[in-house]
Amino acid sequence: MNARRTTELGLIVLGAVITAGLYTLATLGRTASLPANLVPFLVAIVALLVAAHVATRRLAPNADPTLLPLAALLNGIGYVFIARINQDLAALQATWTLVGVGAYVATLAVVRRVRDLEQYRYTFMLIGIGLLLLPLVPVLGRTINGARIWVSFGPLNFQPGEFAKIALGVFFASYLVERRELLGVAARRIGPISLPELRHFGPVLLAWGVSVVVMVSERDLGSSLLFFALFIVLLWVATERASYLAVGGVLFMAGALFAIASFQHVADRVSVWFDPWSVADSKGFQVVQATFALAWGGIAGTGPGLGSPGRIPAATTDFIYAAIGEELGLLGAAAVLMAFLLMAGAGFRIATRAERPFETLLATGLTTILAVQAFIIMGGVTRLVPLTGVTLPFVSYGGSSLVANYVLLALLVRMSSGDMTTEAAEAIDETTLRAA
Amino acid sequence: MPEPLLTLLKLCALALLYLFFIRVLRAVWAEVTPVRAAAGPVPTKARPARPSRRRGGRPPGDALVVVEPRDRHGQTYPLADELTVGRAAGCTVTLDDTYVSQLHARVFRRDGALHVEDLGSTNGTYVNGQKLTGAAPLKRGDQVRIGSTVLEVDA
Repeated sequence: MNARRTTELGLIVLGAVITAGLYTLATLGRTASLPANLVPFLVAIVALLVAAHVATRRLAPNADPTLLPLAALLNGIGYVFIARINQDLAALQATWTLVGVGAYVATLAVVRRVRDLEQYRYTFMLIGIGLLLLPLVPVLGRTINGARIWVSFGPLNFQPGEFAKIALGVFFASYLVERRELLGVAARRIGPISLPELRHFGPVLLAWGVSVVVMVSERDLGSSLLFFALFIVLLWVATERASYLAVGGVLFMAGALFAIASFQHVADRVSVWFDPWSVADSKGFQVVQATFALAWGGIAGTGPGLGSPGRIPAATTDFIYAAIGEELGLLGAAAVLMAFLLMAGAGFRIATRAERPFETLLATGLTTILAVQAFIIMGGVTRLVPLTGVTLPFVSYGGSSLVANYVLLALLVRMSSGDMTTEAAEAIDETTLRAA
Repeated sequence: MPEPLLTLLKLCALALLYLFFIRVLRAVWAEVTPVRAAAGPVPTKARPARPSRRRGGRPPGDALVVVEPRDRHGQTYPLADELTVGRAAGCTVTLDDTYVSQLHARVFRRDGALHVEDLGSTNGTYVNGQKLTGAAPLKRGDQVRIGSTVLEVDA
């Protein structure tokens, strides 16, 4: 079984070498000299990743071997680009990475069996909704860049929504496991689609209502879309009824049209998506700069440290994908996309192999959070979909996002390890006893 | 630092990046290919590969014989009153296959007839290609598929 862990160690070392190599190249490109702190830098990342690996080996020995290395690689690439654009942020991001890996190990150590989380479903619901609405509290909440998604405790700012998505993911999964049979019963048919009873749509409407409230009061389009997508996907997987997807799609369209009609900032995003060029100096500036950056990057990029990603506003957070596309080109940007695809694949693999419906749903939900978020922002930067600001998981600068994503990763790793539980052991003992 | 050298280094870095993905894909391939050739150091409780075609006064259906995978073909599990199949080490038949649940199915004798029952597995138990719901009787020659392993009822 430890073949998996050996594979993981090999991948982690390779990932660390790539990160250190890109870091060196970026410094060479920018200052034409080797980074002064290259050796301590390499030692630090290898030590950090090996610590995470050893913890996985001890706490989740049968876990999927690709998840941790992929996350570490994304984290590493992100760090290189943050350091290349803004040294001060890089120091903070290094601290957050340390905290994130600590959170990963702590989660693995505390959550020995993911199914134990199921019984705290309403606690998770309260935590989730509480965290989501925390920025609206008058004294604590902060509005930064037009979105009221921040909370300040003294000098520390954080985005509680990043943790809310995990708590709500756990809640949705456990709620739907309990209700899936009721929700799956078809009561009426309209043409080819059969619909469950109307009152079972209550929770769907509630989820929709919460995401609309988040969108309207916090001006956070990305999270709003993320929560709604998460709930609809889980509902679909739990009941195996595509009609929920259709209903979700209709509700989404209704919400989107309503938002475009009534909120100027939403309407702006859509008009910029269609045509950024006519407003290239004002509203469309960011998107246009990102498009130029991607075009300038071409196939293989300008080379790390040789582009000018500093011209794109928010290049270390929402637009880091454009910075990567500029300096590593289509090849580098495709590599980032591939890393997310492989992580999503690993997540859905865990979901299909899970022992229990709750674990299947939770793995699906956590993977959906990761994948939808990556899609929303990469699609937004490349103008595939209208831009909604969310962080690119593991890559963007941002402490809350990084730490929350490491917790999410730890839960997936825990589920993939397939705990040899006392319950299964007891069941086997029982059958052998009866046989004897 | 001359520019061609930087370009060369950049291409090397990109090549390393793709080498990383090739190795990840190999790891994924190992994950999705069921039952690795090395079945692991954990010995199964079965006798070594030996198709048992014993004749004698015993009732029919006294053993399960592995049909697939090929490398364990012929391995025989004698049937007592009850036999459990699963990924857990405590099962009578332990299968190292991630599509197999910890405690996947059991084969038991009721009123002298053999039955197989799915124990709420994730990916199901199939008898002669039919997905099992609850318990079903087994006769000689029936093939039971669990994950990627096919077991045949032998007399």
